[in-house]
Amino acid sequence: MILLGARRATAQVPVLEISGANFRPMPLAVAAPQSADDNARSKSAELDAALMFDLSASGIFQVLDRKSFLARVSEGLTASAINFARWADIGADGLVKTQLASEGQKIRAELHFFSVGTGKEEFKLTDSAADRDVRRLAHSLADALYRRLTREPGPFQSHLAFVRRTAQGKEVWVADWDGRNGQLAAGGPNVLNVLPALIPDGSGVAFTTYRTGRPMIFVQRSGGAAVPLVKSDHMATGIAFSPDAKRIAYSLAVGESTQIWVAQADGSGAKQLTDTPYFINTSPSWSPDGKRLAFVSNQGGSPQIYVMSADGGGIRRLTFQGNYNQTPDWSPRGDLIAFTARDERRAFDLFTVNVESGKITRLTQDQGDNEEPTFSPNGRLLIFASHRTGTSRLFVMNSDGSNQLPLPMDSGAYHTPDWGR
Amino acid sequence: MSPADAKAHSALAPSLLTGTRLPVGRYLVVSLVGHAAFFAAIGVFSYLHLGARIDLNQQPIKASLVRLGKPRDPKLLPRIPDAPKEEEAKAPVPEPPKPEEPKSVPMPDAKARPPGNADRRKQLLSAFNRTSGAGGSRTAKTIEELEGQTDGDPNGNSATQEGERYYGQLKAQIQQRYDVSQTIPEQERLHLKAQVLVLIGKTGEVLKARLATSSGNELFDNSVLAAVKKASPFPPPPEHLRDALQRRGIVLEFRP
Repeated sequence: MILLGARRATAQVPVLEISGANFRPMPLAVAAPQSADDNARSKSAELDAALMFDLSASGIFQVLDRKSFLARVSEGLTASAINFARWADIGADGLVKTQLASEGQKIRAELHFFSVGTGKEEFKLTDSAADRDVRRLAHSLADALYRRLTREPGPFQSHLAFVRRTAQGKEVWVADWDGRNGQLAAGGPNVLNVLPALIPDGSGVAFTTYRTGRPMIFVQRSGGAAVPLVKSDHMATGIAFSPDAKRIAYSLAVGESTQIWVAQADGSGAKQLTDTPYFINTSPSWSPDGKRLAFVSNQGGSPQIYVMSADGGGIRRLTFQGNYNQTPDWSPRGDLIAFTARDERRAFDLFTVNVESGKITRLTQDQGDNEEPTFSPNGRLLIFASHRTGTSRLFVMNSDGSNQLPLPMDSGAYHTPDWGR
Repeated sequence: MSPADAKAHSALAPSLLTGTRLPVGRYLVVSLVGHAAFFAAIGVFSYLHLGARIDLNQQPIKASLVRLGKPRDPKLLPRIPDAPKEEEAKAPVPEPPKPEEPKSVPMPDAKARPPGNADRRKQLLSAFNRTSGAGGSRTAKTIEELEGQTDGDPNGNSATQEGERYYGQLKAQIQQRYDVSQTIPEQERLHLKAQVLVLIGKTGEVLKARLATSSGNELFDNSVLAAVKKASPFPPPPEHLRDALQRRGIVLEFRP
């Protein structure tokens, strides 16, 4: 245990090895943005809100409450103008300061990142966007900051599809990752549109619609009208795109059984993968390398998570705990599959299962029903639907279940999120 | 009494019914001496050979019963064990030299469902750690308990052991404060190594701490320096290390 060159102490300096660091989110102070002109000032609150939420949800920062700040609001943006002792006093390790300025029809932002410990400016990020796109400007800055520190892509310029429940039916929406800037992709009175799947190349969204009475899979590409994607006389539901956007997987209900099929992205070349008469196989989710599929099957008696290769071979049951496991989503990092399960108290909660070891980890507990997890493109975060506030709303959390935050969406009932690029 | 009566009595004299003077006193003395010698022999024998003597200076051995509860059905989905509360972990713990203050092991929350076996083991260990002062008062004694050697002499019998124990205390104390930012890229974490040279005064105060070898990542370098700073002061070094630690110091080699 005690590793020592200490025995050599008589001759030289002993060396004591220390490991086992506690990795913790960096305590980060984000000062309110400063604006160079009135137009920039009118946009700063919106940029600030989006940036603060991105950084708070990132999992790598512990964003400090501005109420605790001791520094003057007007403190400058250069290291020499900053009183770092005041930032150290509130426990900050990092400090972010932004300045906004108008440039014609654009807003230009400068984000300065300081290390409080050394009292130095570590780097500066500059970006600009159209006046109306300040939220996207914030997401772009947050991504750049995330990438600069972790050398991994940030998830904040990605998109989220989800279902909004209205009095008339269910609509499919596509929005920024945080649920804002939403656009209606499929609606219509008395129509149910459900189970959205963003196309990984960003060209649109596919979904299951009941517009003709029986469920069909439609695709809505940007600029066009929604058209049928899976042409079948049977009930087609639950589409998933392979990560390279070249193939699709979905379920077809024929008679008493439901089987998983794959096809080319345009719906051609359909091939049946599972073949278990009288049983239901559904909710396919692709592995990041596109070689395997996770899905739900009740062939063992209760709905459980299974994996198989993308040609239908090597079917393997992955979950053996619980008796109602569904909605698998394979992490883009490959190691985990998140899913919804009903526990023995009949609460729906989120879990992950390690694809190799089968180890199940619980992510949510005692917070109402939580369901339908979807991984961020970098695999670090999960968005899910939660009933903890009474209505179904979307939340984000770290992939280990920590730091659960509601998305800053307008009030309404939302469910079935799909987080894509 | 008439002479006739006396005569009649003397006729009866040989009878057993008449009282005679027997040498009782002699027997009594022999018996008493014999008993006394017997008990004295037992006393001497037991004093010399038998039974455990009670050492009033011995540290009491404390045992606590902890209810494990019914193991969770492995077919059920896992539950998240209730985390020990921060305040609970930092609650003041009675100092070891006062055995008359009984320490109690906090029971796992009775309302909590028993978690999986591995989790329960962790929970129990954390409960024991809490009683032994982890995260609590940072005195020499508590750290000693954390890092005690299982095969060591309880009193410590050599300078080497004393030195090793001291380094163990340093290590444990720093590890508790060894927080590193999550923002450090995962692929970089494997390769990070920083060395800090620390000079320690005779009361355990840090006289000097400087980066001897940088990891190349400023954030990590700052974290390890902060860990040393937050962990100080250390317990006073043992006599034989005092001079070396004060003048030449010790190198702390940090890896994540």
